[in-house]
Amino acid sequence: MTDIAKQALARLRELPLPDNVRIMNVCGGHERAITMAGLRGVLPGNVELIPGPGCPVCICPEEDVYEAIQIARHEPVTLVAFGDMLRVPVNAPRREPRSLEQAKAAGADIRPIASPMEARQLALDDPDRRVVFFAAGFETTTAPVAAMLAEGIPDNLLILLSGRLTWPAVAMLLESGQPGFQTLIAPGHVSTVMGPEEWEFVATQHGIPAAIAGFRPDTLLAAMYSVLHQYAEGRPVLENCYPEVVRPGGNPTARRQLEQTMDVVDANWRGVGVIPTSGFALKERYAAHDARKVLPDYADDSRKRVGEMPPGCDCARVVLGQIYPNECRLYGAACTPRKPVGPCMVSDEGACRIWWSGGVRENVHTADRQAAGR
Amino acid sequence: MCLAIPMQVKSIDEFTARCEAKGVERDVNLFMLQDPTLAVGDHVLVHVGYAIQKVSAEDAAAAWAIFDEMLAPAEARAAQLAGTES
Ligand code: SF4
Repeated sequence: MTDIAKQALARLRELPLPDNVRIMNVCGGHERAITMAGLRGVLPGNVELIPGPGCPVCICPEEDVYEAIQIARHEPVTLVAFGDMLRVPVNAPRREPRSLEQAKAAGADIRPIASPMEARQLALDDPDRRVVFFAAGFETTTAPVAAMLAEGIPDNLLILLSGRLTWPAVAMLLESGQPGFQTLIAPGHVSTVMGPEEWEFVATQHGIPAAIAGFRPDTLLAAMYSVLHQYAEGRPVLENCYPEVVRPGGNPTARRQLEQTMDVVDANWRGVGVIPTSGFALKERYAAHDARKVLPDYADDSRKRVGEMPPGCDCARVVLGQIYPNECRLYGAACTPRKPVGPCMVSDEGACRIWWSGGVRENVHTADRQAAGR
Repeated sequence: MCLAIPMQVKSIDEFTARCEAKGVERDVNLFMLQDPTLAVGDHVLVHVGYAIQKVSAEDAAAAWAIFDEMLAPAEARAAQLAGTES
């Protein structure tokens, strides 16, 4: 443990805090770092760390995944997506594939990729075959897609874009009047690209202490100390605790490329509903590369309902920070990383998956029921 | 998906850099990082094959510690963190 971490922890323990303070994080990378470093075990008992909407795979709308599956099954295309997306389950009629992985096993040409550059290369390698890139992700991942478009892509590459912005989800929680947290750790690499300024509204408009954190235990603890100190003093601001990477204005080239290629639109979040100004859509001038415009027949508007999670899956409440992963009744029982029921157990950034790989095995839901003798 | 890792630039060919981290080399796209000019030997944060920010050598080295820490068992880390306070 570094000196910074020790100091932050020692000072944090001395803060005059009320019985319960909740710190929400909105980044799967933060949640993973917190869980793997065991930070919940060293903080004072009155400080709770809540994983929030930090997993782009988990909130990717059911209808988008379904659309990707249908395109791959019925069009003569190669469909590519970031690896995590392949295992995300959706509701589908009996005997139909329920994930991209199942569609692939049934013969569809679906391939996992790790970079947008692989999508472009596949399209270049076979100019006669269409490649459809199902691109889901937050700002950090959508910006490289914008860069790829700005640099120029082959005619036979289409994008099925499902990009999302993170701050509007936090704004929605705060505007609900019952956010369920008193302080916020803001995402590090989203801020690297978009700039720290995006998060100032949390403190200035809502009076919620906020700090941008990196991913090491010491910088996370420094950010936690920052927000708790602000909370104890009653003086909320946004502090940048990751200045080595997060600079004022973010990455100006990346932001310019996003602005040149994409519009910001209202967008659906799986299990949550439509959040204003929370999605990216390709600009009109990229219509020839927009899978939604070139292949419009596969969009199924009837699927756009809130709560489209698999039966029994509590992912939506996990994503909103309303319950911990192991409070879902399926956690560790019907749902494990080997046989995931919901997206939060599939993705490396899903809170359920992170808690499971961090060694949390106890299902609190079951324990509560047993304690109550039910 | 939003985690980015630091890599060192070995060579640059227009918008593509050959980068290395922990003995692994790969091509990294520089199209998103045009404001600070990069030179061989610089460190960059890489996310899904794209450089998203330039970082100092010290910060790159420090950031690598996270991956080692994340691989360590959670309980051992917690004990280590807790132990230093007693
Ligand atoms: S444990 Fe499984 S079923 Fe429950 S919320 Fe998490 S992903 Fe959904």
